[in-house]
Amino acid sequence: MTAQFFYDADREKKNAARAKALQALLIEKGVITSKTVDTVLGYFETKMGPFNGAKAVARAWVDPAYKERLVADTAAALAELEFPEGMAGAEGEHMKAVANGDGVHNLIICTLCSCYPWPVLGLPPYWYKDPTFRSRAAREPRAVLKEFGLEVPSETEIKVWDSSAQIRWFVVPERPAGTDGLSEEQLAALVTPESMMGVAVAKAA
Amino acid sequence: MKLQHTLGGLEGLGPVWTETRVFVEEWEKVIFGIHTAMMALSPQLPLPETPSVFKTVWTWADLRKGAESMNPFDYFKYRYYEKWLGGISGYFVSNGYLTEAELEAKTAEYLADPDKPLPEGGAAEIDARVVQYLVEGDSPKRDVAAEPAFAVGDTVLVKNVPTVEHTRLPGFLRNKTGVVTEVYPGAYVYLTDTGADGIGDGIEKAMPVYCVAFDPAELWPGNAEANFTLYADLYAAYLAEPVSAAAAA
Repeated sequence: MTAQFFYDADREKKNAARAKALQALLIEKGVITSKTVDTVLGYFETKMGPFNGAKAVARAWVDPAYKERLVADTAAALAELEFPEGMAGAEGEHMKAVANGDGVHNLIICTLCSCYPWPVLGLPPYWYKDPTFRSRAAREPRAVLKEFGLEVPSETEIKVWDSSAQIRWFVVPERPAGTDGLSEEQLAALVTPESMMGVAVAKAA
Repeated sequence: MKLQHTLGGLEGLGPVWTETRVFVEEWEKVIFGIHTAMMALSPQLPLPETPSVFKTVWTWADLRKGAESMNPFDYFKYRYYEKWLGGISGYFVSNGYLTEAELEAKTAEYLADPDKPLPEGGAAEIDARVVQYLVEGDSPKRDVAAEPAFAVGDTVLVKNVPTVEHTRLPGFLRNKTGVVTEVYPGAYVYLTDTGADGIGDGIEKAMPVYCVAFDPAELWPGNAEANFTLYADLYAAYLAEPVSAAAAA
């Protein structure tokens, strides 16, 4: 069993060298170009990311009718806003929003892998990909949320959504108190990826 | 049954990792970029031809198969993108794009000199296709008539289909009953054929998908938290009518 639980002291150095070696060979052999990796990463910095989801949530906070449309027909509601092209693109072909409120708190998980709504949220953070989170959130979401610093009252129903087929779920958190008079842009700045996946709530700055 | 297929509900795992970063090491960005490019260049997609020599299929299903085929202890041992690095380099070697010896030799070069520049070059069409894939996506919805056997409010039984190398059926739902809360409009395929598991990429495999609500008290009797509901999206192939008490008697 020693080998099973042995980590190389140079673990990250070797991983880094192997990843770069793979990239170099794939460029040399004509699989990808020297710009491919940066092109992908740049796309997630500018086109697909949590800045899009935050914008939709902020609109939902100032316009209750928009919030209703966002939940009822997520794709159509997103299409109303000025987003970069690709809001129904990779990993966003079939997205659905669920809203917190009225005694309901939503939590998104993916017990089989790490399905995540790329266009509105970008790439999944490590907590979402963690096998321990994926296992425990299915059976004891309150205990898990407490570890994230979020206490959900026992009278609040928790809805846990396991992303096991085509739908990529995200949460519309509740507007925090004390944010009257803030602009949509200021409100969007309060919306974190964690609040749009349900392990946090949005808080006033 | 593979542990990776039935993670939901495991006990004794200790605290969750609340790390909010997407990448915790710079190299992880590289393997993510390569994976996304492979998906975009995969030949089954209806995208423009490019000069890339990548001619074999690579989808999420291939990446997931790799993770699901790992020794479960290793699955918990390695960080997310470490699993990707292992699976993706293995794929390029086993499909003949490069040899393990080439990869070892090149790795040694970068170990000795981590700042050694990457080679330059490549056709712009390749990167254009990668972006086009990100913009257009790859919907599993197919334009065929869906004939859903169940309606909202129906109680359904999750089948115990044969276990295979890859599935989209969370294992902890097998043999459990739930209630349909949504019948998604249309019919859906999956990225690859899963054999006896029942889903696949052929048009004949386009089928309804349901959202099904499960009572955690039935999933884990006496051992689940109160006042919550677990919803899962399930392909029709995984669902059956519950055996009624009368029929079972």
